[in-house]
Amino acid sequence: MEEKKDAGMQPVAKASLPWWLGGLLLGLIMVLAVWAYDPLGVSTQFVILDTKIIQHFDAEYVAEHPVISKDKYQSLGYGFWLDIGLLGGALIAALVVGRWKLQTTCSWWDANHGKSPVLRFITGFIGGILILFGSRVAGGCTSGMMASGWVQLAVNALPFTIGLFIAGIFVARLVYPKSPEIEK
Amino acid sequence: MNMILENPIILGLIIGALFGAALFLSGLANPDKIIGTLRLKDLHAMRVIIVFLVIGMIGVMLLERYGLEHLGIKSTGLLSALVGGAFLGVGFGLTGYCPGTGLACAITGRIDALITVLGMFVGAYVYIRLYHGLVVPLDKIWDYGKIRWPETLGIQHSVTIAILVVLAIICLIMTRCKKKAE
Repeated sequence: MEEKKDAGMQPVAKASLPWWLGGLLLGLIMVLAVWAYDPLGVSTQFVILDTKIIQHFDAEYVAEHPVISKDKYQSLGYGFWLDIGLLGGALIAALVVGRWKLQTTCSWWDANHGKSPVLRFITGFIGGILILFGSRVAGGCTSGMMASGWVQLAVNALPFTIGLFIAGIFVARLVYPKSPEIEK
Repeated sequence: MNMILENPIILGLIIGALFGAALFLSGLANPDKIIGTLRLKDLHAMRVIIVFLVIGMIGVMLLERYGLEHLGIKSTGLLSALVGGAFLGVGFGLTGYCPGTGLACAITGRIDALITVLGMFVGAYVYIRLYHGLVVPLDKIWDYGKIRWPETLGIQHSVTIAILVVLAIICLIMTRCKKKAE
């Protein structure tokens, strides 16, 4: 925000932690979660919060729906507080390392589409719809289905990962053909 | 200690906070790192994920050995997993976000991530509405329940993990060469 935006593209900065340390911490947190309560997962809570809203307008619809009528979707439990904790933890981490920053696009976007936040917002909104819809069809997202699935050696983690990366690589190639500068 | 372990709210908050911090610090909660990996130009995120999964699967195996695990395998059919993964993948490639990293990015100042999170609430609603028409028929195809690799392949848990660890190491070595070549 402080520099002039037109002064040139921001290179992609290095992550705060080296890859092996970031992966090690995430792996240990997954083991902690499986030991303490339940494997990590994020996306179910979106359906639960939606259910809470629908309940206000059409309680009958909720009661007759085969998924959201279940007890699991009626109450805010461990999974909900995990998502709240996730928000708090990310916020604190970003503040501690001094990387909290108001941004509307990212370097890959800027390199391909200029600094046009409006188009980024529109595609981001559509992307968000697909992300959560796909997660629920698959039974989980990158956390609940890919990470938790693989650590438990679940067979369905394989088709999920294949679908995720083939579609992701294909779409990223279409949307982001030009590469920004990347710090090594 | 027991009070913490028996309270799902406190447990969720603690584990969630650690997870959110690790997502941010590892660079997974950064759309540039995700897009870079999908474009095969910046494989940092891929390497983080590989180490994440390897450490996780070894740790879960040890927990199971001592009977300390709380497993939660999804019962999704294989076609639903593939199709759902592909829908998520389209959004993933378009934005550089997934549900967990989208939340982490939104709270750390990324307005575009906040809008993607709003889209996610709409996506959850679309799922609820399309459940009867699309999800139910899809779920019945290639549905084998909560199956795991060791039982499916008829090999030991530890052997399965040894094979996956070797594959992971090969991946890490190969991506290292690529990084140096650039």
